[in-house]
Amino acid sequence: MPVESRQSFLNRIRVQKDLERVTGTAIERQGRGAELISEIAALGRENQDFIYHWAEIIGRSNGELAGHFVNRAAAAFEKLDRNGVETWLMAAMEQFDNRGLGAGIDVLEELPQYIEAYRSRHNSCSFDLVAQFLQHFVTGLGGREMIITTSSDTYTDTEKIFLPEIVNQFDERDLNFSIFKLTAVHLWAQSWYGTWRYQVVERLSRMPDTAATSAIFNCLECIRLDACVSREFPGMYRQFEALGYRSTMHKEQWDIWRARAPFLVDPAASAMDSIALVPDFRSVSLPELKCYQGEIRLQQIREAMFARIEREKAAMKQALAELQRTLQEANGRDPETTGNPKEMGEFSLAEDGESGSDGEINFELRYDGEQVEMTAELEALLSSILQDFGEVPDEHLEGINAGMYPDQLESEGGGESAGVDKNSELKDAISYREWDYTRQRYREGFCRLSELDVPIGDETFVEDTLAKYHGLLKSIKKTFEAVLGEAKLQRRQSQGDDIDIDALVEAHADLASGREMSDYVYTRFRNLDRNIAVMFMVDMSGSTLGWVNDAERESLILLCEALETLGDRYAIYGFSGRTNKRCEIYRVKRFEEAYTRFVRERISGIRPKSYTRMGVAIRHLGHLLNMTRARTKILITLSDGRPEDYGGYKGRYGIEDTRHALLELRRDGIHSFCITIDKEAQDYLPHMYGMANYAVIDEVKKLPLKVADIYRRLTT
Amino acid sequence: MSIQAIRTEENLVTEEPYYEPVGDEISVFAAAHKNQLPVLLKGPTGCGKTRFIEYMSWFLQRPMITVACHDDLTASDLVGRYLVKGGETVWVDGPLTRAARNGCICYLDEVVEARKDTSVVIHPLCDDRRLLPIEKLGELLQVPNEFCLAISYNPGYQSVLKDLKQSTRQRFVALEFGYPDADKEQLIVENEARGIDPVVAKHLVKFGIMTRNLKGGGLDEGASTRLLVNAAKLIVSGIEPVVATDTAVALALTDDVDMLKAVHELSRSVF
Repeated sequence: MPVESRQSFLNRIRVQKDLERVTGTAIERQGRGAELISEIAALGRENQDFIYHWAEIIGRSNGELAGHFVNRAAAAFEKLDRNGVETWLMAAMEQFDNRGLGAGIDVLEELPQYIEAYRSRHNSCSFDLVAQFLQHFVTGLGGREMIITTSSDTYTDTEKIFLPEIVNQFDERDLNFSIFKLTAVHLWAQSWYGTWRYQVVERLSRMPDTAATSAIFNCLECIRLDACVSREFPGMYRQFEALGYRSTMHKEQWDIWRARAPFLVDPAASAMDSIALVPDFRSVSLPELKCYQGEIRLQQIREAMFARIEREKAAMKQALAELQRTLQEANGRDPETTGNPKEMGEFSLAEDGESGSDGEINFELRYDGEQVEMTAELEALLSSILQDFGEVPDEHLEGINAGMYPDQLESEGGGESAGVDKNSELKDAISYREWDYTRQRYREGFCRLSELDVPIGDETFVEDTLAKYHGLLKSIKKTFEAVLGEAKLQRRQSQGDDIDIDALVEAHADLASGREMSDYVYTRFRNLDRNIAVMFMVDMSGSTLGWVNDAERESLILLCEALETLGDRYAIYGFSGRTNKRCEIYRVKRFEEAYTRFVRERISGIRPKSYTRMGVAIRHLGHLLNMTRARTKILITLSDGRPEDYGGYKGRYGIEDTRHALLELRRDGIHSFCITIDKEAQDYLPHMYGMANYAVIDEVKKLPLKVADIYRRLTT
Repeated sequence: MSIQAIRTEENLVTEEPYYEPVGDEISVFAAAHKNQLPVLLKGPTGCGKTRFIEYMSWFLQRPMITVACHDDLTASDLVGRYLVKGGETVWVDGPLTRAARNGCICYLDEVVEARKDTSVVIHPLCDDRRLLPIEKLGELLQVPNEFCLAISYNPGYQSVLKDLKQSTRQRFVALEFGYPDADKEQLIVENEARGIDPVVAKHLVKFGIMTRNLKGGGLDEGASTRLLVNAAKLIVSGIEPVVATDTAVALALTDDVDMLKAVHELSRSVF
């Protein structure tokens, strides 16, 4: 007998003996018995021991159940890892304990169903786990910012990418994760590489049999987009190829399609070429969608696109009108009197010849033939419009007469002033001026502001918050303590722990040259003096209703707890109001006030009120801040959007007034910083606060964590 | 291994450093130097400020003294101090005084880090007086025409305690530095990491731009040109591109797990 067969024979004998030992019954070497022995002998020694071990334990409760386990164990090991097998047999034991032998045996015998459930539970990848990653990833790819969210269908409407809640196409979690990523890239590519250009969407929606057409178009576009990705993202394309097909046959189907539409892989191919090919493919059988492909929702795309086009057209007009006004002023013409559009110049776009990094054409904006510098807002708008049209349609460039807001201001403001007397109780109100950019001067005493108390809120909110963020608070406090604990070696002290050699040598030199010797010759470790006063200005506008308000209050509570460790002087005020005649500031905590139960209750009592007139609030709180004695003074605004109020206080008017208020503060030596959750804040915050003086928090729920973190960074 | 020590004021850049101009910064700096105006370089980290000064040092044929400012750097660290030698006191010039005496370019890197008292010496040096007060010697040093003071500062710092005062900044001719455009950045990467495959360099730059898309959305800064060059050098030495970008770029940029993963995946998508 050859050595191998001999070993195998001995192995089978051993397995048989072991099995007989643990089950307590004789096992035949024919029929099912022989099969069982071969199955178990084929397993590794560790798995065999695992089976014997558990068979013995189960056998103590019930021999029959142990028999069923032994019978199915090898099959279980074929499909599951040891953890999986263990949970399977535990489930059986539990059923046996609770519902008897039959139920226990059922679990063991229904192994295939169990395997399927176990795999989908353990190998699937859920959206929640990858959401944050995907958002970063897609933003990194570039183009219009897209929101990643879930839906029962996988598609994009050109503003959002809809992905499934869970992916379990593969037996490995990593591969399922990759499918999430590849799907997001594929849907992003549709927007980026022009699948949903306006012209394409319109043409597609006018074609007969939209459903069938869309399905064919989807496949043809997939071929074109894959080629685009292969050129720019070779690494990604390799993953497309590796994971896209469900089987060899599936791949062959796609190869046939690709062979029939060779032009689509050409860099010059566009979505229009895909549309042109649709009739040729009507008779060809459709391949199954690739693993990362989504569906087409033409209706949703049209809705999102039309809304965006209108929105961007208006934004573009406004941005151009503002630019026009600035240019007119720069040219020495008074925009107020140059009302006649004929006297105004015209905007045009010209290619500047250089090709951008992503194959985009770079444009330069011209006004009356002369090149003008584009603002970041205009650039973002143009880039989004280019994504929709592939060009900038002329109608987007028609400048309009500026001055829409000031007019509204006069009329609406006038209307409001009639109703002001209703609030005669506000006679303690303080007057503040406001900057009117259209007139380029202040409106003296235009705003009336009153300081009010925040109604007392429920203290359980505070307790709940402290309990909810128990762990986080600990770590925030720790990092804050670290700031304090940053003991620094201070040189040239009049007394200290050690001699400052440099200072001593200098003093000695002074002495030798006949001067007076300095006393400051010691070093000592000491914590830095933090001579900081900080004012928190909290947005209490109506738009903060719900989540944002909760997050603001939670942030404040965590921050107060942490600031108590730091010992910085701080005050908290809320702001809101309606029209220039009723600006309101809500006291939450004054500088001189301790962090007491009342303060906590007031924080919990912060509720959304009406509008956001920021300029006047900044001026008032800046005034309060100015009255404190501290080396460093900071005003930190927590906000959810741009300044907005009745009476034309919006758009550029609000932004310019706020900017002026902040400049006034800066002149007084007060630093300002803004923390916002408004994703569009990058368009206007740099103009108001300066390039580095703001932070955009992408998720409301991160606010409590981030506010403390930003504060620490800001003041160290 | 031979070690050569040279005095800092004799540190003349003899070989033309590689520098790719992005605008008219060379002519502006040369004109400022001709007119004895100090220069302020603004820009994010790793965009080429120090390299530019090296280049200008070569271009103008002036020795260059660099001082990396830190928060314990005082005016006397810049100007100089007395030392005791065998019972005698000996005056030793600080880097700024040495630069002033020898008509060098003095480059104060990250000047906002230095202590506030440094402005006492910087201010009279940077206006039309061009004087360096050496208080301990009772001297006022009238600096030669060749001397040039250049300072750098990164406006992206979000600390209110590290800001350049108006009275200081308004004494300088300011040059703003940003990241170069894609083609130029590729050229820089290819030149700095000799031997890199142009296709790989192009992908590296594309990856760099993608990380910059994330600035403000979770990253404080995108990958700087310096980081891309570092990655390119690793690649030339035989490291796999994705490993090089992970180690030289991603891990240097962030500790946030999700963000790190996103940056990892971005590099995997281009290579």
